[in-house]
Amino acid sequence: MEELVLELKKQIIEVLNLEDVQPEDIENDAPLFGEGLGLDSIDALELIVMMEKSYGIKIKDPSAGKEIFKSINTMAEFVKANRTK
Amino acid sequence: MTTKQWVKITPESVEVSGKTLATTNCGAALLTEVYRAHVNDYPKFFKMDELSKLGFLATELLLQAEGERHSESDDRAIILFGRNGSLVCDRKYQQTIERRDDFFPSPSIFVYTLPNIVTGEIAIRNHYYGETAFYAMAHCDEQLIRQTIEASFLDPATQSVICGWVDCESDQQFEANVKLIYKE
Amino acid sequence: MGFTTAENYAAVKQGRSMLEGYPAGTMDLPEAFTASLFHWDEVEMTDGCTPFESIVIQSVGRALAQTTIDVSSDRLLFILSTTKGNVHLLDSRSPRFPEERVLLGEAAATVARHFGFRRQPLVVSNACISGLSAQITAMRLLESGACDIAVVCGADIQSRFIISGFGSFKALSPMECRPFDIERLGLNLGEAAATIIYTRSETQGEKGQWQAVSGAVRNDAFHISGPSPKGEGSYRAIRAAMGDTAPDELAFINVHGTSTMYNDEMESAAIDRAGLIDIPVNSLKGYYGHTMGAAGVLETILSMAAVDDSTIIGTRGYEELGVSHKVKLSAQNTPTTKQTFLKLLSGFGGCNAAMVFRRS
Repeated sequence: MEELVLELKKQIIEVLNLEDVQPEDIENDAPLFGEGLGLDSIDALELIVMMEKSYGIKIKDPSAGKEIFKSINTMAEFVKANRTK
Repeated sequence: MTTKQWVKITPESVEVSGKTLATTNCGAALLTEVYRAHVNDYPKFFKMDELSKLGFLATELLLQAEGERHSESDDRAIILFGRNGSLVCDRKYQQTIERRDDFFPSPSIFVYTLPNIVTGEIAIRNHYYGETAFYAMAHCDEQLIRQTIEASFLDPATQSVICGWVDCESDQQFEANVKLIYKE
Repeated sequence: MGFTTAENYAAVKQGRSMLEGYPAGTMDLPEAFTASLFHWDEVEMTDGCTPFESIVIQSVGRALAQTTIDVSSDRLLFILSTTKGNVHLLDSRSPRFPEERVLLGEAAATVARHFGFRRQPLVVSNACISGLSAQITAMRLLESGACDIAVVCGADIQSRFIISGFGSFKALSPMECRPFDIERLGLNLGEAAATIIYTRSETQGEKGQWQAVSGAVRNDAFHISGPSPKGEGSYRAIRAAMGDTAPDELAFINVHGTSTMYNDEMESAAIDRAGLIDIPVNSLKGYYGHTMGAAGVLETILSMAAVDDSTIIGTRGYEELGVSHKVKLSAQNTPTTKQTFLKLLSGFGGCNAAMVFRRS
């Protein structure tokens, strides 16, 4: 799980162009949207693409993303449960 | 019309109202260097495509030279011109869809495949509610550009315009020639 | 739906549409989609020109044929409104054309050469508001004397590029779109080319002549893809364009009405803020889908034809209001005697446009 958490952080930083953010800056439980990293609607859509590309998980409904992408932990749980890659 | 400030950016140099900024890098690295040295408070910069970075930086330097932002107004228009438009980003987006077996269209790249987005980024940064527009031309036609800018003041609300040529041919080949022009 | 204004208006009045479901695999795309696309075997192609350039040539040609304009005059300016022009040329699946044709200015120059226009064309690429942005530009350049005739053509065609892009935004509805409806799921994409030729009006227009009264473009300054929830830019554009026009002069407001959750909600907020909540509203996206760079010109022409016909075209796809401000929509065509309408558009980059048109 530790490995997956770090992998997710690195991927998010790269995929969302978070230039000045390091993996250690992202707390596992902190909200990713709104406060925290301040991600927006386009970031959420890009994370949906990342889910499919890296883990083979198709998220059809963008509003489902709200719960899945709440924090690194919720993302990791979701990936662990649903990954096909 | 009165030109108050002007900024010229090429892959090798940056000039603000006649003064050359001290820089060491070229091309895309030059833009990052200028951002770090003169802006550095807007992380969204790194999400932008090259055209938006170029226009955003040129405008930041322009407004810094002006001394005040004049935010929350709709009397400042942002009207930019170029030949290549969003082509550099278009090519980048095409790569995400070209192959049927590697088909992952990227929304964060797609959103920048419209040349007017650079005007939107400037509006958001500065809270400008005025007119925003992007015009494409095969060649930089100074007369047509001047006529279009002059005519933009026919909107009675418009008192000043951030305008000029902002063009990106590749990551390393670009040109910005941007002015802040007042009606009187 | 046709190659003339009359053909198109007749089809729209009858509630017809070319929106069709296309299966997965169309344009080598992985998912099915609904769109309004040209049946290209029915379109006259110009030798050496791309499909995009060909429909522009068709539209501009037909418009010019209705006039006695000297096309070689250097007082004529060609203004092309398009979001993506020949972008399909970037795809390896497309036929080969010289590389520079993917540039909007070069595509416009190809059309200009075909007609023998002397001046370099101006291309308005202002996202989905381009069609009104181009007309506002034409108005101003005429008023300032920079030209005497402005040939304004709005056009866009669909491609893997555009359809996949909107798909990545989850903005597409798999079914026919339902502007302002409570069950709307998103937009449909469309293709079109539409042309309006502008001249200065020296005298009070003859009866039945159309005038662009005023227009304005304003920015939300909020987000590059999502509209301002308060409709800030749209509201400001409406206020600026309305100027001295009294609300009760308006026959209707033809909105952008793309049928996305966010756009329709935002427009209803802007219309309410502007004090126009009682004015009939319609969207034409249910007939043509979202034709992007063509929309502003196409929808203006159809709105003029409707007023000429004393009709407010119903909003195809609409049944029950699904926005929080109670704008007045109807699925049916309704009669009107008023001679003025307001046209609205919004686009990526936070831009919004509004124009008032009047029939004298």
